[in-house]
Amino acid sequence: MNEFVTALIEFTFLQNAIFACLLASVGCGIIGTYIVVKKISFLTGGIAHSVLAGMGMAYFYNASPIMGAIIAALVSSIMIGWINLRWKEHEDVLIAAFWSAGMAIGILFLSRTPGYNVDLMSYLFGNILMITHSDLSLMFLLDMIVIAFVFVYYKHFLVSVYDEEFARLRGINTELFYILLLCLISITIVILIQLVGLIMVIALLTLPAAIASQYVTSLHKMFLLSAVICALISITGVSISFGPDLPTGSVIVLTACCAYFFSVVLKQILSSK
Amino acid sequence: MNDVVIDIDNVSFSYGEVSVLEDITFKIYEDEFIGIIGPNAGGKSTLLKLILGLLKPNRGVISKFKYNGEILTNNIGYVSQHSTFPRDFPITVGEVVMMGHIATSSKFFHYSKKEIELAEQAMQRLEIQDIEKRKVGELSGGQLQRVLIARELVCQPEILILDEPTANVDMRIEEDIFSLLKNYSEHMTIIVVSHDIAFISSYVDRVACLNKTLVCHSTESISGKMIEELYDAPVKMIHHHH
Ligand SMILES: Nc1ncnc2c1ncn2[C@@H]1O[C@H](COP(=O)(O)OP(=O)(O)O)[C@@H](O)[C@H]1O
Ligand SMILES: [Mg+2]
Repeated sequence: MNEFVTALIEFTFLQNAIFACLLASVGCGIIGTYIVVKKISFLTGGIAHSVLAGMGMAYFYNASPIMGAIIAALVSSIMIGWINLRWKEHEDVLIAAFWSAGMAIGILFLSRTPGYNVDLMSYLFGNILMITHSDLSLMFLLDMIVIAFVFVYYKHFLVSVYDEEFARLRGINTELFYILLLCLISITIVILIQLVGLIMVIALLTLPAAIASQYVTSLHKMFLLSAVICALISITGVSISFGPDLPTGSVIVLTACCAYFFSVVLKQILSSK
Repeated sequence: MNDVVIDIDNVSFSYGEVSVLEDITFKIYEDEFIGIIGPNAGGKSTLLKLILGLLKPNRGVISKFKYNGEILTNNIGYVSQHSTFPRDFPITVGEVVMMGHIATSSKFFHYSKKEIELAEQAMQRLEIQDIEKRKVGELSGGQLQRVLIARELVCQPEILILDEPTANVDMRIEEDIFSLLKNYSEHMTIIVVSHDIAFISSYVDRVACLNKTLVCHSTESISGKMIEELYDAPVKMIHHHH
């Protein structure tokens, strides 16, 4: 641990990594909360994996992979949302289709792109230690977008997520807020991709919020608590992985899983007393 | 006679092929307290959803009017039979009651003084002010029902519709809720579905019996014969004493 602190003072790449953790925690805390209370983690996984299609195409056309990721995430979340609203009974099959089609398209494009690219591995599995200043600025911008929407429409999101029928009877456009929520989820996925990679994104979008949900009585408290938990988990992950030079994304995800199981057990013990 | 607020004119409805309601014609007047009774699967909940506009009739029209005669589009209070929200949702009683303001409320987190006042009044009348900070998922059936009624009352609707609001509560709370509704019905049109015919007939102004068609509607107390006709079976009248 001491070794990590000295390194932190010395190396800017570590400082950037810690900043990235903090920025990711903002989006993760807010959007993870909605994913957990609305129980749409499988859907989120579908959006996350379909992002590979956008990245693959971006590589092929020599464009920015992260821009490809943003566009693919938005397109797939709008499509999944729109079809889902009209075809609710097939939701899980629909997600499975998007999940695998996204990856398949991505891999097709990549196979036609000359040369093997290390970057791709870092988008799949994360590589927080290579994060640049421009990555951090992008994460900040995306965080601001998420915060702006959620704060302005807090009441509307709350009522649409909690009791859709009631919201509809009061003239709230619940379909619009559903699609908007999926778009915010896709933005958050892109924020997190650099940290843990698109394959493991789902862990950070569900576990910290699931831990928080056991201890709060209100949604806005859950935002805050899950953001704090997410920050603690990811910073812990970075510091553990740094010494023995382990893949940071994997260590963060495993830290999140341990924290989750620990909190479930703790809650059991507390409530059985 | 008061003015008509809900005019159901020759309405039929089916889910796919299955016909649920046939040729319903029924008028509801200002400040009336209407009870709807009928056997299970008789189409009571469906009729309420048609009135609310959650479902569209296959045939016929339903017109709704405000007390000033204008066409009414929303501002109908509704407490459904099966609440669909997840029990483990992190939300307090106070927050759910405040939701009643959503149609007119500002953006962001903030609520106005007036909005908070109305919510407090509603909570007091339903005697839930003590549990304002409690998590909704931890409430008993009767408490939850009162919270949901309070949420509808905060925006002072002209029409309030309740679908078996007392199905999961004991007798004493049932009486509480119905006397409260009785009070409100002096300046509000209330439609309530219930199983307990003898019980509600001592509160409501008029009872409608529904079993695919509107079997009867009456202001007089209901006779055993009418109930037999409604349920297609002999029924023992159970008298409640209050
Ligand atoms: N969403 C639905 N889809 C298909 N059939 C339905 C649906 N809702 C209700 N039904 C059917 O319509 C009939 C009337 O139901 P309902 O209006 O709920 O009756 P009640 O409230 O009087 O018990 C029942 O036979 C029920 O099975
Ligand atoms: Mg019913």
